[in-house]
This record gives sequence, C-alpha cells and structure tokens, in this order.
Amino acid sequence: MADLEIRDLHVRIEEREILRGVDLDVSRGEVHALMGPNGSGKSTLANTLLGHPSYEITEGSITFKGQDITESEPHERAKAGLFLAFQYPVSIPGVSVANFLRMAINAKREEPIQVKEFRSQLQHAIDLLDVDKAFTSRHLNDGFSGGEKKRAEILQMAMLAPDVAILDETDSGLDIDALRTVAEGVQRLHEEQGLGALIITHYQRILHYIKPQFVHILMDGRIVLQGGVELVERLEREGYDQIRQEVGAGA
Amino acid sequence: MPEVAVKPGRHREATLYHALAGVGAGNGRTLAQLREAALKTYELSELPVWRRSGFWTTSLQNLDLDALQDHAPTDAGEQPSGGVPDVVQRTLPDRPHAGRLVQNGGEVVEVELNPALAARGVILCSLEDAFRDHGELVGRWYSKRLTIDRHKLEAANAAFWTGGAFLYVPPGVVVQEPFEIVYAIDGPGVAQYARTLVLGEETSDFRIHEYGLGEDFSDGQALHAGAFELYLQDGARCRLAHLQDWGRGEVYDVSTRFVGVGRDAYCHWLPALLGGHLVRQHLELAVSEPGGDMAFRGLFFTEEREHLDVFAVDLHEAGPSGGDVHWRGAATGESRASFEGLIQIDPGAQQTHTYLQIHSMMLSPKARVDSIPSVLVSADDVSASHGGTVGELDEAAIFYMQSRGLDRPAAVRVIVEGFFEPLIAELADEALEEIVRTKIAGKLAAAREDIEAYATSR
Repeated sequence: MADLEIRDLHVRIEEREILRGVDLDVSRGEVHALMGPNGSGKSTLANTLLGHPSYEITEGSITFKGQDITESEPHERAKAGLFLAFQYPVSIPGVSVANFLRMAINAKREEPIQVKEFRSQLQHAIDLLDVDKAFTSRHLNDGFSGGEKKRAEILQMAMLAPDVAILDETDSGLDIDALRTVAEGVQRLHEEQGLGALIITHYQRILHYIKPQFVHILMDGRIVLQGGVELVERLEREGYDQIRQEVGAGA
Repeated sequence: MPEVAVKPGRHREATLYHALAGVGAGNGRTLAQLREAALKTYELSELPVWRRSGFWTTSLQNLDLDALQDHAPTDAGEQPSGGVPDVVQRTLPDRPHAGRLVQNGGEVVEVELNPALAARGVILCSLEDAFRDHGELVGRWYSKRLTIDRHKLEAANAAFWTGGAFLYVPPGVVVQEPFEIVYAIDGPGVAQYARTLVLGEETSDFRIHEYGLGEDFSDGQALHAGAFELYLQDGARCRLAHLQDWGRGEVYDVSTRFVGVGRDAYCHWLPALLGGHLVRQHLELAVSEPGGDMAFRGLFFTEEREHLDVFAVDLHEAGPSGGDVHWRGAATGESRASFEGLIQIDPGAQQTHTYLQIHSMMLSPKARVDSIPSVLVSADDVSASHGGTVGELDEAAIFYMQSRGLDRPAAVRVIVEGFFEPLIAELADEALEEIVRTKIAGKLAAAREDIEAYATSR
C-alpha cells in the first residue's frame, strides 16, 4: 500500500471538470514526475491534494498513510506529512521566514521546539539551499525574486520534513543556477530523509538534476501514459502533440 | 520648478471636521476665566452629533450624562479610592520608567518620578498641583492651542477637569525610559475629565506612553472626555504613544489631542485605539515652525458593536517641514470605524512634503471601515498626496499557511498581525509592542467564529 493513494479522482472548479479520473500512488523514498501540457490539470491536482477550498472533489478518494483525507482540512494534511511547494508562493507581509518556520514546526508538535534545536535545523536548511542567513529574517516571500521564492519553498520543505512533497512547477521561472540549487536540495532531501516527491513540471530540465523512478503524463485530466525515465526522453524527442495523437488514437 | 503634487480628492466638500484654529482658548486668560467660559458653553449646548454628509453619524445622544458623576475625591462620605486599579496593574508592563502618573476616575492615585530626573528639573505631577506650584509656567501653555467651545464635552472637560497630568522636560534633558501617564476607569458611573499638558523644552528628548484603560463592566455607562496637549520647543524630540482600551463596558471617549512641533523639532506619534463603546477622537499633529518634522502613525481595531470615529490632522503651519502619516485599522463584528485624515498646509508653509496613507481590513461582513483622506493646500511649493487600501483576508495566503500546518484561526492571526506589524514595530519599545500584540491577538480570538463565518460565506 502506497503512502499517498489517489483513486479515480474527479475534480471540478467553477462547474468545469478538470480532473477526470486520476489514479496515482506515491510513497516515501520514491521520486515521481508528473508531466503534462498547460491546462492538463497538473496544478489542480497539486492544490486538490492539499485541500484547496476552491476545488471540488466530485468522485474518488485520496488516502494518505492509510487515512482517507479526501475531506480533511489543509492543515491536517500538512500535519500528516504532506507538503506542497507552490508554483506561485504568496507573500506574508510582517512575518519573517524564521518566525513562520517556527510556527509551522510548532503546529506539528506538542511542545514548542527548543531554540537551539530550531537554530541548528535552520542552519542545516540554509546550507542545503545555499541562501544567505539574512534571508530568514526577511518577511516571507515579500519582495522576493522568483528564485528566492522557490528557495524559500524548499527551505520550508527541508525544515518541515514531510513524507511526501508535491512540487508544483518549482522549476518554472528559475535561471539555471537557481534551478540547480533547488533541484539538488530536493535530491538531497530525497537521499537523506527518504522524502517522497511528486514533481509536477511542464518541462524536462529539472529532471536532469533529479532522476524520477516513475513518470506519468497527464492530459485532459487523465493520466494517459506511465513509465520510467525513458518517457522523459521520449517526450523530449517527440513533444506532447505526438503523444496526444497516439493515446488519442488508441482510445 | 516647484513640485506641486496635490490630489484634492472627492471628499473635500464632504469634509466636516476641521483642524483647530491657530489660537486656542488659553491665551491671556486665567484658569478661572477659562473654566467660567467653558461652563457657559457646557450649559448652553446639547450633546454633540457629528455628521458627515449622508454616510456617517457619530452621536452621543445615548449618553446619559446626568447619571454620571465626576469622581472628585471631595464628596463627604464617599469611599476614598482604592489606589491604582487592577486593570492598570494587569496591563502596564513591569518595566523601568522615567516616571508614572495614574489617575483613576477623577483622582490622581499615583505619582512617581525618578529622583535623578527631578533633580535635573523634570516635573511630573497632577495638573492641579502644577497650577498651584508652577502657575506661571503652566498658565503660559495651558490650552494654548486647545479650544473649549467646539462642543459640550470639550467644554465639560475645560470646566470640570480634576487631577490631570503635567510633564515638564527642561532644556537638553534626554530621557531614555518612557514617562507613563494613565487614565483609568474602573467601573460604571464615572465621568472622567482628563487633562494632560506636556512641555518639552529646547533639545529635550523623551518618550511618553499615555494609556486609557477601562475595567470590564456590564451595566451602566462611563465617560472619558480627554484633552491632551504637547508642545515641543526648538530641536526637541519626542516619541509619543497612546494606548487606549476601555474594555467591555459602555465607555464613551470623546477626546482632543494636539501636538505642536517647534523649530527643527521632531515627534513620532502613534495612537493605538484598541477598544471603547463609542470613541470620537480629534488628533492633530502640527508642525508650527520651520524645520519641524513628524511621523504620525496609528492603528485601530474595533469589535462587536463598537463605534470609532477618528479625525487625524497633519497640519503644516510653517515650512520647510515634513510629514508622514500612516494608519492601519481592522474591524470585526458589527463594529464601525471611520478614519478621516486631513493634510492641511497653511499659506506660507512652503517646502512642505507630506504623505498620508491609510490601510484597513474588514474581518466581518457586518463590520465597516470608512477611510476618508482629504487635502487642503494653501501653498504652492509643496508636495502632498495620499493613498490607501481596503482589504479583506487573503484566502490564498490562508491556504498557503494551512498547507504548512497552521489551522485557519492561526493563519488569520498571522495575516492580521502581519498587517499591523510594520506599525507595531515602530513603537520601538518591546514592552509596549507586546501589549499591542497581545491585545490584537485577544480580539482576533474573540472574533474567531465571526471571522470563520465570513470566510465560508464568501
């Protein structure tokens, strides 16, 4: 039984059906890539997995570590060990990165984290993500560049140590150096902490740094192809249109 | 080229509130004469109603003034006051201070001044004592800019005030710790006519924290009619904070506060208006002489059925001068808050540069915050502009925080605290910052269901 089990998931937003029966399993220690063209439902899946209130599940279920979380509040999913690295992280003015992290960590614990322990964890994450220490005293995402926002997402992921993380187009808008830092950070969390990752991306380039064991192609709200890393190479050669024709023809 | 960036705004005609006229009631008149004149106005006038065309009314008609007594300690048979009320002991931080004066109801119950400061000529005493012991000095400044006849309660204050606070900081005296002045109302039936006069002499540098605190009560009414005046002489610097929370009783607060900034002087003023059944405050920060500069900050939080009406004036009577007005407010429950901010630049106040911004946040469907910026400019070599935002809770930010494990109330708290934080941090006084943060957190916790219902209804 997989840690995260998605079964026949149908999702609507504002009367429009975006996901039309998605099945997917992700477990700790696994790296999955979910690829698909624009509008295929990738971000809908990411937001639905964390319980965004605008997305309505009309059919199917989400199970996490044996618990049905289809109807759970977002914070309950987070506490259970799910994490979403946002495509467009919002700014939280007035709250420093460090203070926010402390609140998020304490939300998962009975006793508040000791200052010393928090500092050492933070230092570890700072080293991992190659950010300036001053970064953590800035207000979260407030005035951050695109690259800084994505680093802040992975920094949070490192601190919160989820079992399964969904990375929603974390690679978009990053220059090659930022992409490498972020991708290597994810790779190390995978290796060191056994993080399970669902990497959602439109492009292939992040997958040059993180090698997925499983690749899924999402089109029109359904997973139309599944395979190993060879699928990425095929996609690189042939493009989405070719695959669309093929699966369309086979349907 | 002179820079003229003036946006008069649509509200100019609708402006009903006015800056105080240049000269107050005090000039040349004795206290007795002023009291007599004020009494006359008091007797001839009705309880005030303030209207702004069509959409805002602040009315004191529900105040039963006759039922209130001013707690003068002279009444035979009345119990002597019990000293510093609980609400003051609960609220005020345990921290070093330069001096502290506490008035409960109509009576000053505690005066404390650091002896080292007293030795350097600093005076902190009740205003009654100040008239007795420093009559000449006090007489020169008392009501210099404050009026006594604009409405019944202003007149009542001038006619009936008891106790009061007088602070004098001599030339060149620099004081790190704050002077604390406290007005407390410890129950219903009190009419508190509060009067503070502060004089900061040349190049003095000090802090004032003035508190207005009320004990919770359920039956009856109370009134705080306050007058505050601060005059900063050449090169003086003052950080002034007002913290007001009248608690859950039916407390009416009608106050006027005036700060005059002299040549090359500076004032940072932050009123934190955090509770009161009906609060109407006229807050005026005036740069009266060339080279004066000021930062006028403020925050308010209304809840339940509270009514708050703030008129804040950024007045420039001489140039060059600087101004920077920045207020933030939030409202829950069925509360209503109106903030009118006026930039007024008088003729001759050339090379004045000032900016007013007001940001508000509605946390309930029935709460209302009106922000009315207005600009009256009578000089041509100035820049004056205003801006602001009206916001609701950002659902995207809430989801973001929830996805990190914070539950919804915690996420809301982070947002609202973050909204106020830039101003709270400007208090630059940890103990006071903590009081403000705690009060805001408490109000959010109290309004939790209301905020929740609002979110799910949208």
